[in-house]
Amino acid sequence: MSHIDIRDMSFTYTGKRMILKDINLQIEQGEWVAILGHNGSGKSTLAKTLVGLLEPAQGTVAIAGTIITPETTPAIRKQIGIVFQNPDNQFVGVTVRDDIAFGMENLCVSREEMLERIAFFAKKVGMEKYLDKEPASLSGGQKQRVAIAGILAMQTGIMIFDEATSMLDPYAREDLMKYIRQLHQEGLTIIMITHEIEEALLADRLVIMKEGKIFADGRKEELLKQPEVFAQSALVMPLALQMAMQLDDEATFGEVKAFLWESTFAK
Amino acid sequence: MGIHFREVSFHYPQNQLTFYQAIADITLQIAKQDEFICLIGRTGSGKSTLAQHMNALLLPTEGSVEIFGSLITNKRDKKINYNLLRKHVGLVFQFPEYQLFEETVEKDIMFGPLNFHVPPEQAKQIASETIKLVGLDETYLKRNPFNLSGGEKKRVSIAGILAFDPDILVLDEPTSGLDPQGKIQMMELFKAIQAKTGKSIIIITHDMDLVYEHASRVIVLHDGSLIYDESPEVLFRRGDLEQFHLQYPNTIKVLSALRDRFGLDLDIYQKNLPDALLAIKKAVAR
Repeated sequence: MSHIDIRDMSFTYTGKRMILKDINLQIEQGEWVAILGHNGSGKSTLAKTLVGLLEPAQGTVAIAGTIITPETTPAIRKQIGIVFQNPDNQFVGVTVRDDIAFGMENLCVSREEMLERIAFFAKKVGMEKYLDKEPASLSGGQKQRVAIAGILAMQTGIMIFDEATSMLDPYAREDLMKYIRQLHQEGLTIIMITHEIEEALLADRLVIMKEGKIFADGRKEELLKQPEVFAQSALVMPLALQMAMQLDDEATFGEVKAFLWESTFAK
Repeated sequence: MGIHFREVSFHYPQNQLTFYQAIADITLQIAKQDEFICLIGRTGSGKSTLAQHMNALLLPTEGSVEIFGSLITNKRDKKINYNLLRKHVGLVFQFPEYQLFEETVEKDIMFGPLNFHVPPEQAKQIASETIKLVGLDETYLKRNPFNLSGGEKKRVSIAGILAFDPDILVLDEPTSGLDPQGKIQMMELFKAIQAKTGKSIIIITHDMDLVYEHASRVIVLHDGSLIYDESPEVLFRRGDLEQFHLQYPNTIKVLSALRDRFGLDLDIYQKNLPDALLAIKKAVAR
């Protein structure tokens, strides 16, 4: 049984234009998958169907063997956390502390445990000094870190990051990536929706979406050998690999090319 | 003169006793024409706060900001038409949700022109022209902005500012959330606007590749203070950027790794892929 199992799934807002078409995707427990694709390719819509925010028009989405329906959604949400691009869409509390607590309140976590987790996860995202501040007074990147702490504190088995780093500065982004790597090592299933190929390189598997369909799906080492896949889906290859591919004279540039490939995957 | 900051500080009130200083003692000038400025700094460094002073959305706690001849201080001046300042300096927010509020994309884009007394028919015409400029087709005009994707919302919010044709454009992270091709198109659009009209453009960004390739001037904030104000060529030759939580452009990063690994005599300061490839070929030939 796959941790996430999507079968023949389609989605439409209007009944006419299909936003997602015939999606089949199985993700195993503990996998780290990056979903890439151009704006409007359906990546974020796909993420919303995984947490029952949107209901498929056809087909099914199952989490740990349970098909998502309006009845099963509350139980599903305890297993799957999602962090969105714009943190303002997920703020509810008067203080940063309240905000981090919100998700746990819905899970009926005890007060003692809750305080412990707030302290732990606020520190994890570097916001421990801001617990008494109003979310409105924070910068975009700081708000995002608070939102992430709130979802992490729910300790779900699956974490979805829906372009969650696009508002962060590069260092905050790197910090978050380190932490995601740690979550992955702890056995969580990670789904990362992103435009940033550098970010996607941290995942093991890439799923590339185009016009509502899955256009390519495979190990990153395999997909990155196929520049045409990236070109056809309006994505850009990592700069070092673009260099390696354009230095075609193997005799002269062999070592340089090998180094460029190695350094791309060394992260 | 377009915008002139004189010793500007801004405090966000925390409660009755404490405040949080977002920017401190900023002095800088922005010309009306031909500037392509990138404003950079880590999150929380004061970039967005500074930008919101450029069209008097925030009033300085101390110091003054002169905007197209109007002197803005912490006291509201009845003689100043604040609405008109926004016609001079158009500001696109980081999060498009802050400025999208109408039920259709068309109404949203028409709002600015109507606000500045453009006749409705003409405003409609402007909306259908600007939507295409930002890479969306006219079918978007009848859609509800709240059902759009993050990248589409961003484009609509930019169209909304372009529609009333401000003298200076200030864009807070205009490319975040856009896919790689969308980013390139958006930068080409800004370049084209500048080439045609000479308007100064100020972009807040974390994307150092964009800064290196496009900026003629970079303003760096750190903890609310202005630490550097210079060309990207000078800035990225500095060795201390990491201490301010700033990174180097990708070309410099990859080329410097190559130089160090093979001991090449390689000029690492290249702005794009073709130039970088040439530099590698030259260095390997030596």
